[in-house]
Amino acid sequence: MREFRIAQPRTVEELAALLAETKESVALMAGGTDLIDMLKSGVAAPDLVVDLQGVEGLAGIAPGKDGLRIGPLTRVAALAADPAVVRDFPILKEAALSLATPQLRNVGTVGGNLCQRPRCWYFRDPEVACRKKGGMRCFAMRGRNKYHAVLGGGGCFIVHPSDLAPALISLGAAVTVASARGEKSLPLEDFYRLPSVDVTRETSLGRDEFLKDVFVPAPKPGQKGAYVKLKERGTWDFAVASAAVSGVVKGGVASEIAIVAGGIAPVPWRMKAAEEILRGKPVTEALAARAAAAALKEASPLAENAYKLELAAAAVKRAVLALL
Amino acid sequence: MDAKYIGKATPRVDGRKVVTGRAEYTHDVRLKDMLFGMILRSPHAAAEVVSVDLAQAKALPGVLAALSLAEGRVRYAGQQVAAVAAVDERTAEKALGLIKVDYKVLPSVVEWEKAREPGAPQVREAKPNVEKFSEAARGDVEKGLKEADAVIERTYRTAFEVHNPAETHASVAAWEGERLTVYDSTQNVHGVRDGLARALKVPAAGITVIKHYMGGGFGSKLGLGEHTVVAALLAREAGRPVRVALSRRENGMCVGYRPSSFQTYKAGIKKDGTLTALSLVNYASGGIDYGDEVLEPAVDLYRIPNVKVEEFSVFTNTGAGCACRAPGNTQGMFGLEGLMDELAAAIGMDPLEVRRKNYTTRSQGDTGLPYSTKGLDLCYAAGAKAIGWERRNRRPGEGSGPVRRGIGMSSSLWWGTGVPGTLADIVLYPDGSVEVVSGTQDIGTGTRTHMAVVAAETLGLEPKDIVVNVGSSDYPWAPASGGSVTTPSVAPAVREAALKAVARLKQVAAGKLKAKAEDVLMDGRRFFVKGAEDKPVAWADVCRSLRRETVFHGEAAAYPQDQYAFNTFGAHFAEVEVDLETGKVRVLRYVAAQDSGRIINRQTAESQVVGGITQGLSAALFEERVLDSATGRSVNPNLRDYKIATSLDIPEIEVIFVDVVDERLNILGAKGLGEPARIPSSAAVGNAVFNAIGVHVREIPMTPKRVLEALKRKEAGS
Amino acid sequence: MDKKPVRKTPGGVSRRDFIKGVGTGALGTAVLPRLFAQDAIATKKGRVPVFDSKAVTLTVNGSPKTLTVAANETLLDVLRNRLELAGAKKVCDRGECGGCTVLLDGVPVYACMFLAVRADGRSVTTVEGLARGGKLHPVQEAFVENDGYQCGFCTPGFLMTTAAFLEKNPSPTADEIRQALSGNLCRCGNYAKITKAVAAAAKMKGA
Repeated sequence: MREFRIAQPRTVEELAALLAETKESVALMAGGTDLIDMLKSGVAAPDLVVDLQGVEGLAGIAPGKDGLRIGPLTRVAALAADPAVVRDFPILKEAALSLATPQLRNVGTVGGNLCQRPRCWYFRDPEVACRKKGGMRCFAMRGRNKYHAVLGGGGCFIVHPSDLAPALISLGAAVTVASARGEKSLPLEDFYRLPSVDVTRETSLGRDEFLKDVFVPAPKPGQKGAYVKLKERGTWDFAVASAAVSGVVKGGVASEIAIVAGGIAPVPWRMKAAEEILRGKPVTEALAARAAAAALKEASPLAENAYKLELAAAAVKRAVLALL
Repeated sequence: MDAKYIGKATPRVDGRKVVTGRAEYTHDVRLKDMLFGMILRSPHAAAEVVSVDLAQAKALPGVLAALSLAEGRVRYAGQQVAAVAAVDERTAEKALGLIKVDYKVLPSVVEWEKAREPGAPQVREAKPNVEKFSEAARGDVEKGLKEADAVIERTYRTAFEVHNPAETHASVAAWEGERLTVYDSTQNVHGVRDGLARALKVPAAGITVIKHYMGGGFGSKLGLGEHTVVAALLAREAGRPVRVALSRRENGMCVGYRPSSFQTYKAGIKKDGTLTALSLVNYASGGIDYGDEVLEPAVDLYRIPNVKVEEFSVFTNTGAGCACRAPGNTQGMFGLEGLMDELAAAIGMDPLEVRRKNYTTRSQGDTGLPYSTKGLDLCYAAGAKAIGWERRNRRPGEGSGPVRRGIGMSSSLWWGTGVPGTLADIVLYPDGSVEVVSGTQDIGTGTRTHMAVVAAETLGLEPKDIVVNVGSSDYPWAPASGGSVTTPSVAPAVREAALKAVARLKQVAAGKLKAKAEDVLMDGRRFFVKGAEDKPVAWADVCRSLRRETVFHGEAAAYPQDQYAFNTFGAHFAEVEVDLETGKVRVLRYVAAQDSGRIINRQTAESQVVGGITQGLSAALFEERVLDSATGRSVNPNLRDYKIATSLDIPEIEVIFVDVVDERLNILGAKGLGEPARIPSSAAVGNAVFNAIGVHVREIPMTPKRVLEALKRKEAGS
Repeated sequence: MDKKPVRKTPGGVSRRDFIKGVGTGALGTAVLPRLFAQDAIATKKGRVPVFDSKAVTLTVNGSPKTLTVAANETLLDVLRNRLELAGAKKVCDRGECGGCTVLLDGVPVYACMFLAVRADGRSVTTVEGLARGGKLHPVQEAFVENDGYQCGFCTPGFLMTTAAFLEKNPSPTADEIRQALSGNLCRCGNYAKITKAVAAAAKMKGA
């Protein structure tokens, strides 16, 4: 691992000030389970690693009347075991337990999971200068791409690897982004950016900004959710395709529904077309399949990843049917 | 054999050492003043190395040696170009970055399919990219196909499977004057010693290679590694010990893999299940080196009167392949046994019946000799019973619903019969302690324990009483731990040495008992004359009378290969579930029946089989090295994207040994097991998937992508 | 590791840091590198501690160890290279295999993906610390008795995962065992026997 310095701010104010004022290149370290991989390979080469572990108030889960506040430094294992999560948002528990391994969940954090970098094998190769790393071309587009994006690519075909993000977005989660300039809250869905906006980054997080909290609105009466993750191995695998569905189904009819797919696009992929087809109608297998197909209509697979469309359709269909 | 330990389950004699973290692996060796060596590798698949400038690297404080390793031309991405040794890893890493290499990049070809095309860049000078390297023929295939009621043609493909042993390849080299000691993560201490002698032009007598414990090899550590030579050269230049331990990334790029295969079979079968003819054309790819011959199962397993095989190696600008647990037969069995199931389906016959119908008790290979023993029929029967063979789909894919179940099986055929001339010594000490020594190596298979079991059984002691020493080239010669030869080579040698020791002890005891040696009995650390059990002499007293340590030599004897064929056999049965919508395969239950002669230690033997199954399942479903077609660089030289089965991918496993003892083979009737347990496992899973969904995927790994593609093929009716 | 030149103004060290240093009982020379290697970045909201190396105190297998670690050193490298504890293995070095699993305050983590400086003040248990007074931990005993390994290289990781798991769940089901072990790869493919060993260990501990 190359040399870097570590800064250990103790308060949110210190953190914000540090990020605003330092001239050094900076990487934020939450659990570190993703960043350390990139520091070792050299894909990340910051002068300064800002250790968020000791920043007061960034960890922990606070249930409130209007919803759940999740500190970004909350360990994924803690999220999965939290009584309020288990009771009100089982989809979050499912998503949390579907990711990585027990050991990684003991260290990895919610914020880290949301902000992790893509696993595109060209991006992760330190000797490849792809567009995401400031190079001129995407190597996956005409290279090996069985795990790459079928939707939303264009210049860069990464898929967003997070399992928590689709689940949280389906729940209508918002994030607070903070900096020395102040705080702003935005839907988690809007936090992510397509490569067409800025190919070098996956989120809207500015270089002086950090995630301050994640807010999940309280469940509506009858709200249910399901996360279906399709992968190659039984575990320890990123989604080849996944689907998070949250909604309210009464008498077999979906009055409210949100569908977000993972593993198929550079951002967690909201499937509004599918939601519209389902909303207000009795949920059947045929309708769920039709909704999935509609959501994937715009897809343009690469040479090796067309199969992901079938997997994504299956994931969406199964997650929708799980609401019944 | 009325045995107390042989054939029973004995926990490993060195278990305590391993579970307390005190077993010394090469990775753990830390010598005084040891430096860390690292290797610079070519980023190009083909290039001329114009110059290597080490000056800046050498000038970096903490760097004590730097070498150019370039030999003019680079033929694959990852080939070594230069190396450094420094006081720590970070300094070595920095120094690599300071080496200036001037490459003249040359055209390259990465995919073997493209390397076959006319006009493809030539991988080797003055040689074409495609070379026939194996062939076999008997009878008249065209005639045989005409006699058949059904003829099918099928192509089966196997992927580049990377060994990925837990411990990456590593060597620590230390010179004392002209004497060289190398700690090496190797399956072959003697072979590495001899290889180093040749490479360094120093006498083999002055080299010692040591391997105490090793984190897996699976064939990738059978010979001298380039990194080992590098460690020795760096150590010589620096005048200090040097450790070179490859990274996981290097492990995935430049120390070998199982060569791929592309096997096209054409075969004929009569309605009654009689095979009439088989032809096989295989394209194997092992990068800059030859691929694996896959013909053995096709040529030898079934009675087929007309056979023709042609195998071609296709050379590409990728690293060299190497032996990987049962090289060739593993790929070949996936093809042949897949074909057998598709032939059975073509005539509507039980696939196991087809195998029985064409069963042979004579080798079908060149010699035509009768098998000394062959328990394959017993394996079929035992395995079929245990899995519930009658529960399979009579017609592949006949089930209904979105998730289909199926049962499939595959045979195993391998050698694994031992190497005559293997040596082992028993040393008796005057204090009554016993040592067994052999220059073999325990690569995780439990060799130490089986040696202790055989010695203890013969000497009337307990396995824990025996001190076992292996893993040094200074010990008596034994072959590489590969080819499933270790047990049938070492165990008989230990047995022979121990029998000699017993004879000597009885002789000494006879003197004390004032009896004839042939009348002396030995039991439970005592010697006595029959009928006078109450007047024994103790083991300790007899040993004390030896006055000094006494060495008894054992040697594995030759076996009559001119009269009999000697092989190992097995049959694996898998039950799977396939999700038609997602293409996901889950193995639900697995039964393995093995004929590996007499089992020495049931505990570790069972582990070998469990491991063979798991690796085969993993290869069948997940494992595949992926290369970037343009650059020849592996895009998954890691354990994230190169996927190995986890605890959640493993079914319930039942292991059966049919215990056919081959008295002609060696004094214990023992055969090898490691590879026989790997050969059929991918094939059995493949056939179970066929039974479940009614179409053979014909390519491993059977990822969701490939399963879905196969289902489309079925829909399209091809 | 590179030594930073001694700063004239040791302003980066807060009183709290100093007291913490004293509190470890590691007075004298062990504290000095911490004083000198540490610095701070001044911001409008105060000075943020920053360092390229730091003196840390880890309780390793029950005994306190104070040493200066570089910012970029992993816990695994510190254990293996500095503390002569070679039990935890470097298999993938990327959190992809579990061979380096150790317990951090009793919780299994991958030591290769954990910066050593972040383990400051915490307790680390490695496979070397599992047996007590020469007596094997039941998990170790069960792995030997049931041949819960082959080459043994991944075994320390499995043992640590199992030891922590059985503390939390003393009588697990077969499926819970598989789930618990799902962050440890065994390349020899011995899972079927490892899970048996874990079940046996649970029984042994219960007895």
